[in-house]
Amino acid sequence: MFKEMQSLANAQMTDASPHKVAGFYPYADNGGTLAAIAGDGFVVIGGDTRLTTGYQIYSREASKLTKLTDKTIIGSCGCWCDSLTFTKGLHIRLQYYLYENNKPISTNATAQLVSNMLYQKRFFPYYVSTIVAGLDADNQGAVYSYDPVGSTERHRYRAQGTAGSLIQPFLDCVLGRGNQTAPEPEKLTKEQAMIYLKDAFMSAAEREIGCGDFLQIMIVTPQGVEEERFKLRKD
Amino acid sequence: MFLTRSEYDRGVNTFSPEGRLFQVEYAIEAIKLGTTAIGIATLEGVILAVEKRVTSPLMEPATTEKIAEIDAHIGCACSGLMADSRTLVDRARVEAQNHWFLYNENMSVESVTQSVSNLAIQFGDSDSDGNAMSRPFGVAILFAGCDEDGPQLFYMDPSGTYVQCDAKAIGSGCEGAQQALQEAYSKSLSLTAALKVLLTILKQVMEEKLNSSNVEVAIITPAAGYRMLSKEEIENAIKEIPA
Repeated sequence: MFKEMQSLANAQMTDASPHKVAGFYPYADNGGTLAAIAGDGFVVIGGDTRLTTGYQIYSREASKLTKLTDKTIIGSCGCWCDSLTFTKGLHIRLQYYLYENNKPISTNATAQLVSNMLYQKRFFPYYVSTIVAGLDADNQGAVYSYDPVGSTERHRYRAQGTAGSLIQPFLDCVLGRGNQTAPEPEKLTKEQAMIYLKDAFMSAAEREIGCGDFLQIMIVTPQGVEEERFKLRKD
Repeated sequence: MFLTRSEYDRGVNTFSPEGRLFQVEYAIEAIKLGTTAIGIATLEGVILAVEKRVTSPLMEPATTEKIAEIDAHIGCACSGLMADSRTLVDRARVEAQNHWFLYNENMSVESVTQSVSNLAIQFGDSDSDGNAMSRPFGVAILFAGCDEDGPQLFYMDPSGTYVQCDAKAIGSGCEGAQQALQEAYSKSLSLTAALKVLLTILKQVMEEKLNSSNVEVAIITPAAGYRMLSKEEIENAIKEIPA
């Protein structure tokens, strides 16, 4: 999608004028990978902390995860400035919600709001991949994923971003278990979900240069949000 | 009484030297001319009942709508200038639908009331975008609904002030009705008992004889949401109350 947007911008510039005109490139791809797994009474969401442009590393310490409430986390990656602006705007909307409704916003309401906020920029989108992870009204884990213009779906697990296409098939294998003849594994625990997340990011960092440095994990349970950091390869 | 109010009761933008806004106070008086409306919140649900004044046998009673649906889980009863209530009910409906669109959840009864009171206090605001009225709205509204905190009843007056109530009467018979509600109300009232209390009180304060065409009743429960009682259901309920 990023390449399509750039070539569109270039095409507009070369048509009319014989002179060289500086193009307008409003988007950058700063990479980043997100993955989340939901379970009974918990949800875990992980994001790497590497921030890149092409082969360069801007930062090894850029967190992609933001705690919104005691029950909801948002992960956002792609164009870094869009991620920052979007999450900042979301914070304002959530504060407003709190004042107008006298209660903290639920995960499901946040999920719908995020979709609407992304779609409001339908014709100049935030160039971001987004995952909202949290506990629903019944304290069940919920994972919502989004495309840049707000198309959304609730999943049990989901990977997005630079190494999303590497991690998703792995999660499909260990959690989705489609077309597998092996017996169903035991009910997914929080600890097992953490192991899957770490394995997934560790393997992705081996093959994808846009993924690495650290894996930041946020664990949401009815007791609150915990955070964990896990080292990934740095080259 | 009215002599002392002269000069300061013409505009809504000027306080009197005693610090009062007479036009707002007059608007609150105006709702006492309206028909009686009563709401009761119980643990099982909320009931709204209003009196309809059928001034002529040639009038079609069904065309006066004093109870309106705001959303599937909220209804309201109005007393006062019914034309003004249209604007407020419309705002409530827009806000409730907008909340659902934005958050995929039902709007709470208090939030709906709050959003309508935002409109109600905009009177005299000539800088606003054309929605503002030049005078206060001449209606009081009872908002009844069931949200995640259970059955709720809110009362809003023409000044935009709102309070949550267990039971509330507005309109011409409000004083007697409120007194009777205080005596009859208890937290543990069942829905059917509350309906009886409501109709009994309405019967006491109404000038005309209570029948199924000069009263409107709506019940809002957590399970079924907003539901208007049919003529037959009202008839049956009236039979139950002491003559």
